[in-house]
Amino acid sequence: MKAGLNKFPELNKTKFENRGKELRLGIPVINSVVIGNSIACGFGDGTIRIFKSGQSSEPIKAHNGIVLCISKDGDDIITGGDDGRFLKISLNGEISEIANFGSRWVDHVTANNGSLVCTSGNIVYLWMPGRKEPKLLEHESTIGGVAFDSKGRRLAVSRYGGVTLWKKDYSNKWKSSNLLWKGSHNKVIFSPDGRYLVTSMQENQLHFWRLKDKIDSAMSGYGAKVKSFAFVHDTKFLVTSGSNDAVCWPFDGNGPEGRQPICLPFVGNKLVTFVEPFPNENAIFTGLSDGSVFLSEIEKSSNTIMIRSFTEFEVTTISVTEDASSILIGDMAGNILWTSIWDEENK
Amino acid sequence: MDSSKQVPVTVLTGFLGAGKTTLLNRILTEQHGKKYAVIVNEFGEQGIDNDLVVDADEEVFEMNNGCICCTVRGDLIRILSGLMKRADKLDAIIVETTGLADPAPVAQTFFVDQDVADRTKLDAIVTVADAVHLSSQLTDHHEAEEQIAFADVVLLNKIDLVDKSGLEAVKERIRKINPFAKIINTTKCGVSLNEILNLDAFSLKRVLEVEPDFLESDHDHEHDDDVTSLSFVSDTPLDMEKFQDWFSKLLQTKGQDILRTKGILDFTGESDRYVFQGVHMLMDASPMGKWPEGKERSSRLVFIGRNLESMNLKEGFENCKSA
Repeated sequence: MKAGLNKFPELNKTKFENRGKELRLGIPVINSVVIGNSIACGFGDGTIRIFKSGQSSEPIKAHNGIVLCISKDGDDIITGGDDGRFLKISLNGEISEIANFGSRWVDHVTANNGSLVCTSGNIVYLWMPGRKEPKLLEHESTIGGVAFDSKGRRLAVSRYGGVTLWKKDYSNKWKSSNLLWKGSHNKVIFSPDGRYLVTSMQENQLHFWRLKDKIDSAMSGYGAKVKSFAFVHDTKFLVTSGSNDAVCWPFDGNGPEGRQPICLPFVGNKLVTFVEPFPNENAIFTGLSDGSVFLSEIEKSSNTIMIRSFTEFEVTTISVTEDASSILIGDMAGNILWTSIWDEENK
Repeated sequence: MDSSKQVPVTVLTGFLGAGKTTLLNRILTEQHGKKYAVIVNEFGEQGIDNDLVVDADEEVFEMNNGCICCTVRGDLIRILSGLMKRADKLDAIIVETTGLADPAPVAQTFFVDQDVADRTKLDAIVTVADAVHLSSQLTDHHEAEEQIAFADVVLLNKIDLVDKSGLEAVKERIRKINPFAKIINTTKCGVSLNEILNLDAFSLKRVLEVEPDFLESDHDHEHDDDVTSLSFVSDTPLDMEKFQDWFSKLLQTKGQDILRTKGILDFTGESDRYVFQGVHMLMDASPMGKWPEGKERSSRLVFIGRNLESMNLKEGFENCKSA
């Protein structure tokens, strides 16, 4: 796939596309991360690009092969690659290597309050603030995902057979407990209030645990693997991909058990491949397998706006700046839209 | 899914010392102008170093759907999904498995995981065998039998170290287990890569070309191998309903012991040829166009597995014939 060969219909573009900047890079977009009002994006050729209002976004060569994962540590970007390197990259593009595992991939990275984490195979490498050497937390099977809670005192590690929950006690020792559910668990997140853990599975379903009483249940009914899910800020919805609708599960009260999700439909019946909450609103951006992206209010689905028209290639990332002024959309073929969300007169 | 967009994946099996590493090194270093990624296992032999070599853990896991046959390789799902995000397109991917690995979970991964099935396709299972030691390995290790049973190609290596009658004996034993594998004689894995890569052996189209030695009558085994093959031919058309009923029950109840199946079926009242192939309980089947004009229509069925004698296969197949 080469840039320029992608069929990009010039007609019927949205106003967001008309006023934004479009790149056709021909390199799969892996994922992106928001740092204040900048957005860093990782690509399938090992480069990252940093998007900031009024600046160009030149490629920074970080990894030899693929940027497998991208996250942030304060104001720095952290990445893992198939070259076995775990890197920290400043917003100025300065790269420093935190660790190198050779031919073993760095599959997941995360950070919280100065603690840095990467995973390779079945091992979590945890650097406590100020420490040069990592602590190794070993698991029985390969790690599917890793997440800190908002305070950084708990670290959830998803794997085959469930989640290992590591807790830091008051003497700063990490102790683990297990949340078990048969099958292979991939991405894991905490709810913003820390009460729930949610994983996506190899099967077309999600699983959640209510941590205070360890009640757990599946969220199923999807037509495809659920690869993207997130809690909508300040509301009690978990929004998920993997269906032709954006499926929003209620997590208020006693959680989603026995309740129906709200399903937001889109024209064309394409698969939802990426979901991203709108900062501080009860609304979400939804990216589909044909490259189109919509903004919808969760409880008023009639209020749906098309942000990006179709490109034929599945949306692989959507990020919104912290001030909710700009959005970045990327797809599997390396088409990027970087645009302002608000009309000039509404700013 | 357009099959030309799917990257072919070759599974390379064989016991330690058979010559897998020699072959992998050739694939990576030969000037062929192609880009191949190689997924090796952590217990593999040393000596392969290349940007496109990925270390894997051979992690076999069960799907959560209660089907015991749905064991897959979790690490492969992760690595193949990652490789598909590369900016430069790979011409092929080679998955090395350890000598003691069962090839079934690798093959099943391509049936079970939708992302893997969308972007890659299982091309062929190539088993490297040591002409000197294969016979004793087949006797001592059921894994060796499975690797021969699953193979589309057996690369019979080190043939310079056995005499002619020894070579014929080991080939005969391979054919008893797996009559449709292509056997290639080599020394030091000196084989053209065209003969082991991009074979499309798992496509239904290729099933039509398979002409196994139909050894229907020959069941007196010199060696008492666990894994055997049985094949059946019928010039009488089959009844589709009866066949589906028999075959689905057979796979449900005996799928653990049935390693591979292939077949071309002639159903009464159908103008198309029906072709299928399967790994344990998982099956790919489809009509594959009209029967060629002027040629006799017939149904052919091959089973490779354990305890085949106890499954009343002949009787079951006979009962499917249209009255």
